[in-house]
Amino acid sequence: MPTIGQWALGLGQAAALLLLAPLVSGFCRVLRAKIHTRTGPGVLQDYRDILKLLKRQEVLPAGAGIVFRATPFVLMASLLLIATALPVLTLASPIEPVGNLFTFIYLLALVRFFFALSGIDSGNAFAGIGASREATMGALMEPVLVLALFVAALLAGSTDLGRISVSFSSLAGGSIGAQAAVIAAVAFAAFVEMGKVPYDMAEAEQELQDGPLTEYSGPGLALLKWSVGLKQVVMAAILIGVFLPYGAPASASIGGMAFAALAFMVKLVVVLVIVGVIENGAARSRFFLTSRATWAGFGIASLALVFYLVGL
Amino acid sequence: MTNLAFAVILIPFAGAVVAGLSPEPLSKWTAQLFALITFAAALALAFAFDAAGRPSLVLDLVTFGDAVLLGITIDPISVLIILAVVGVGLLVCVYSAAYLSLENREHPDRGRRSYYAWLMAFIGAMAGLVFASTLAGQLLFFELTGVCSWALIGYYQDQSSLRAATKAMVVTHIGSLGLYVAAAALFAATGTFALSAIGQLDDTMKTVVLAAILFAAWGKSAQLPMQMWLPDAMAAPTPISAYLHAAAMVKVGVYVFARGLLAAGAVPQTIGWLGAVMAVATMVYGFLLYFPQQDFKRLLAYSTITQLSYIFLALSISVFGSPLAFEGAIAHVFNHAFAKSLFFFVAGALAYTTGTRLLPELRGILAQAPLIGVGFCAAALAVTGVPPFSGFFSKFAIFAGGFQAAAAHPLLLPLLVIAMAESVGSFAWFLQWVGRSVLGKPSPKVAAAIPLPAAMQGVLLILIIMTLCSGEIAASWLGGRPS
Amino acid sequence: MPLGLFALSIGLYTVSAVASLAVSERTGGRIAAIGAVLGALAGMGAAAPVLADGQAVAVTLAGPFPFASFALRLDGLAALMVATIALVSAAAALFGITYAQEEYAGRGVGVMGFFMNLFVAAMMMVAVADNALWFIVFFELMSLASFFLVTFEQDAEAIGAGWLYFVIAHAGSMLVLIAFLLLFAVTGSLDFAAFRGAAVPASTASIVFLLALFGFGAKAGMIPLHVWLPRAHPAAPSHASALLSGVMVKIGAFGIIRVGVEFLGARVLWWGLLVLAFGAVSTLLGVAYALMQHDLKRLLAYHTVENIGIILMGIGIGMVGIASGQSSLAVIGFLAALYHLVNHAVFKSLLFLGAGAVITRIGSKDMGRMGGLLRAMPWTAVAFLIGALAICALPPLNGFVSEWFTYQSLFIAALHGSALVRLAAPLSAVMLGIAGALAAMCFVKAFGVTFAGEARSEPAKAATEVSWPMLAGMGLLAASCILLGIGAPIMAPLVGGVASSLVGGSTTAVADGVLVFPGDPAIGELSTPLIAILLIGLAGVPLLITALFAARRPRRRSSAVWACGYLPDAQMHVSAGGFAEPIRVLFRPLYGVRSRAARGLAAAADRFAAVPGGAARAEELWDRLLLAPIGRGVQAAGEQLQVLQGGDFRVYCLYIVAALIVLLAVVTV
Repeated sequence: MPTIGQWALGLGQAAALLLLAPLVSGFCRVLRAKIHTRTGPGVLQDYRDILKLLKRQEVLPAGAGIVFRATPFVLMASLLLIATALPVLTLASPIEPVGNLFTFIYLLALVRFFFALSGIDSGNAFAGIGASREATMGALMEPVLVLALFVAALLAGSTDLGRISVSFSSLAGGSIGAQAAVIAAVAFAAFVEMGKVPYDMAEAEQELQDGPLTEYSGPGLALLKWSVGLKQVVMAAILIGVFLPYGAPASASIGGMAFAALAFMVKLVVVLVIVGVIENGAARSRFFLTSRATWAGFGIASLALVFYLVGL
Repeated sequence: MTNLAFAVILIPFAGAVVAGLSPEPLSKWTAQLFALITFAAALALAFAFDAAGRPSLVLDLVTFGDAVLLGITIDPISVLIILAVVGVGLLVCVYSAAYLSLENREHPDRGRRSYYAWLMAFIGAMAGLVFASTLAGQLLFFELTGVCSWALIGYYQDQSSLRAATKAMVVTHIGSLGLYVAAAALFAATGTFALSAIGQLDDTMKTVVLAAILFAAWGKSAQLPMQMWLPDAMAAPTPISAYLHAAAMVKVGVYVFARGLLAAGAVPQTIGWLGAVMAVATMVYGFLLYFPQQDFKRLLAYSTITQLSYIFLALSISVFGSPLAFEGAIAHVFNHAFAKSLFFFVAGALAYTTGTRLLPELRGILAQAPLIGVGFCAAALAVTGVPPFSGFFSKFAIFAGGFQAAAAHPLLLPLLVIAMAESVGSFAWFLQWVGRSVLGKPSPKVAAAIPLPAAMQGVLLILIIMTLCSGEIAASWLGGRPS
Repeated sequence: MPLGLFALSIGLYTVSAVASLAVSERTGGRIAAIGAVLGALAGMGAAAPVLADGQAVAVTLAGPFPFASFALRLDGLAALMVATIALVSAAAALFGITYAQEEYAGRGVGVMGFFMNLFVAAMMMVAVADNALWFIVFFELMSLASFFLVTFEQDAEAIGAGWLYFVIAHAGSMLVLIAFLLLFAVTGSLDFAAFRGAAVPASTASIVFLLALFGFGAKAGMIPLHVWLPRAHPAAPSHASALLSGVMVKIGAFGIIRVGVEFLGARVLWWGLLVLAFGAVSTLLGVAYALMQHDLKRLLAYHTVENIGIILMGIGIGMVGIASGQSSLAVIGFLAALYHLVNHAVFKSLLFLGAGAVITRIGSKDMGRMGGLLRAMPWTAVAFLIGALAICALPPLNGFVSEWFTYQSLFIAALHGSALVRLAAPLSAVMLGIAGALAAMCFVKAFGVTFAGEARSEPAKAATEVSWPMLAGMGLLAASCILLGIGAPIMAPLVGGVASSLVGGSTTAVADGVLVFPGDPAIGELSTPLIAILLIGLAGVPLLITALFAARRPRRRSSAVWACGYLPDAQMHVSAGGFAEPIRVLFRPLYGVRSRAARGLAAAADRFAAVPGGAARAEELWDRLLLAPIGRGVQAAGEQLQVLQGGDFRVYCLYIVAALIVLLAVVTV
């Protein structure tokens, strides 16, 4: 059972990431605007959007039921739960019973389940297609994510995210090749799960009018946009916190955590810049050709397994 | 006890005379009465035998110097089989009385006296054979049953049944040559016809005698190469098909073989291999011939052939040192008698009420006549060996005995596996007919069926109950437990 | 005491079964249902003490057969099976009180109750039978009773499905019979007590194991012996389907454990790897085929194949653990398998009962005719949703806990195993992961197309909630799903105890307070109560956020769905086939396997069609080639001999004289 301090750390971490999420999506938008050589809205625009939407009237589609209305809450709750357990500010996971590799994968599955279900429940055709694509992307990314994380766990000797982070914090953890391949595979998986172009399948702004988000309005839309942003932050945090944990302290000291927070922000900015450059340099891939890329990702993960078995 | 045994053999013959001479409407009642008395005598014998601690008796009746010509033997096996034979005989009499009537839609008939006379004579002949303790006695009753069968197959007196009767007579008589040879060889070697003398022969003579008995058994039990008479014998009235060609007469062959094995003690393995291989060959042949059959009774005839090959296989396996297989064989004789007669009686009931024997025309029986439908299912499951019906328990004993013997003789394993595969195949085929004929919507012929007479319903019900109990009865009787 | 309660339970089931035949239809159905519920309670009462203290109770009676005694043994594994059967039976019986009467009135409700109760009693007896003969008897009785349930509709599809089901079940039990008889030949006794730990030579042991694997695998619905499952389970009445899918296929898994682990000791490594391989393949192919179904019950049936695969994976890892001497790994593997066995029984029956409720109202199994039931049948929808969440292994419900343990067992195997295991385990984990994602997609589709959106047919528009007994049955199972999930810290040690008894009583800790872990907390931890509390608590955050601004918001209103300016139409809604189309395209090779297999079977069936013709020709060969020549020969010989009877009296006198001369010659010589 976690201590009071760990609870505080976990919940505080979740709150911080929650508050950070609109800033992150704002940063990505500013980056895109700069790359397009235009000015665009400011970094804080998403905060203003969310506050505005919270005050707007909610218009529900005629056939929608309780699943449609409950989804934003379920999504945010699940993502916050993941956020409490990530080893962001320390090498260990704040709430160890939740910070397990398979728990993480299946909490993401919970998010995907309700997101897709709400798409169908809204009764909107675009939302339905978006839901189908969301579920398909999940099926395509699952092998990559499972295998990569599994190899990472094997390298660490445990399925606890904190212990994996400890093992990756020192490069001399044995199989360099496997570690590098794992990081590459997880990075690819995080990129796809963030929903960035060219894998912006479910929301597909130009194609599907935001997919499952179509019929949401008012507070529901606010929470859902926030949750989508939070998911992007969480995926980035997984990559940074578990696999690139340089700068995070082993024990929870205030000074250490402050330094870790700073290191996290720096790494986050670096990751977002890389992501932004890739995102804005590519067009959305054709949906049925996505599998080529995901199988390539699976190939990298398999390479990690081979490296691990061989001991490279 | 011996008096009871005599009674069981002689009362039916007396009944044959009485039924043959009484006026036509009365003859069926006298036949049923004598069958009932015979059955009561058999039951009394069984109880007396059990109460007396099951002593195995052999009583020599007619001797000529040292040579025993005729005798009776009373032991657990003969008592069990006589119960089956006489019990089914009584049920056949009751069923025939209702079946042979002018309301029968398939074969309207008055029910002539000759039928009942020959039927009673047959029961007597079967009883004589079951109790016979000498090869000469077996031969006598073997031929007697053949004559009765000839008369009864040809009962309807039309071209096809007369031809079928002659064919049956000729083929089984060719088979009986085996018994002639066996009796002669035994007499030449030991000077007596008593079965117990087989045990004193040396190995080559034993092989000769037992092989000859086996040949006769194949003829009477419709095994390869003398199986072609049984499907054509289905021209007989259905109660006769049930009795002679399922429950009783075809069992003569296996019974004679079983007695020979029992008497021989240590049997040469050649006989075991010969019996087993031919049994499996017959089994496969019989199974393959299920597929073109559309006539219900012909299908049942081939089923009888394969079930008999199971019994032959079991008896042959017992040669390799498995008493469990032998007991399984005897139990299967008992169980199959009830199960197969139930199946034939169902076919007869359907023929009576709808006028057809063709399976493709009989559909949705359960909806129209639930008792016949349940009987069909019970019989199919009992014959193919699905618990809780009786056939399973005897088949289990046979397979268990087979695997025991196969531990020392691994070449038996392929034969056992083929037998088990055939069992599954038979099951699949019969289940398909259950699905097509019993379940679903009634076909036009079935929907227009007349109601079934009470006597036939009663017989079906008794047999359905027997298919559930006979396994336990046989096993506990043979195992030495009080039944 | 446990055996007394068990006997009472069986007695209640059988007596109520027979009684339901004797009275009128309505009363018969009720008697059967009440008897089942009471019997289930007695069964749970019998199982509970054995599970609690881990002591097996046994009794041996002399049956009517001299070669087989009537031996019963209620050990941990049997008690777990009995408890599971009892729970599902009680729920199905509750459901059936009104369901049977509504759907099957006038078609034999009493008979249905008879076969249902007989079916349950047979399953319970299979779990405790301790003698080979009686095991097979009850095993077949189970198939027989359920055959009549599968064919209950008596239409062509049901009869065909029932035929295929019973034939494969019977063939499977024949294979098991051969396995038992091989053991009988070695040990000389049919009692399982003699089979346990018998010294079986290695080659015989492998043959026995393979026979048992395929024989029980056919019953469990393991690929490739699963072909009966997608036809039989949908054909049966829904509460019978719940029993078939929920419990009967588990008897197959139970049998594999009994023979492979208890009798043969699982001492060979490739056995466990083989089971693991079959499990992984069944998992992946099962869910792939499920995704393509638009018949709701067939979809659920294919998911049963998938989940049996997961149970087999756990069993495989357990056997690998025993064979490589890692008893902790073995315990975790079996824990995962048995926990998933219980969980799947609960949520699959729940899903089938929910499907039954929906099909009752819609009158069709086609998902394309459903929709809009979330508001019309809210309780059914919630129950089905709980079942769907559980089967997709979403935290914190029961399915997640057992799959978590399965993953952990694969991980531990990969950590310390031999080279082959270190390759097989991660691959199996990947297949499990893909299957999990596909299952989630499949149930989003199933729940969404069935319940959500607009009603797509007249019956769907007119649907109302079902009666309270049906809701009670579903509610019982839904509550069990939640309790088995959140109560993992209590359930895991219980199931772990049974698993330990399979591995020779080694103790492996699996729980501490609200945590569960696979033997060593350092490997991984899970706390479902914590997750549940946190999810509910953290959901308060968005609720708070929206509540803060509630005052400034106008009231919520409803409007038509946006369809780019067109009027929305029910046809615009995503269909079951359309939703799953991407997977059909992207995973095409998986679906190709089935069409290739079907072509092979069709070719074999064509060749079979030639057999009856050949047999008919063979039939008359005997008369033509054997009897006719003999007849003609005898006739001809007679006609030749006829010459002797010329008719001339003087020739006859010559014959007499010749005979006398010959006789004299013989006598003098």
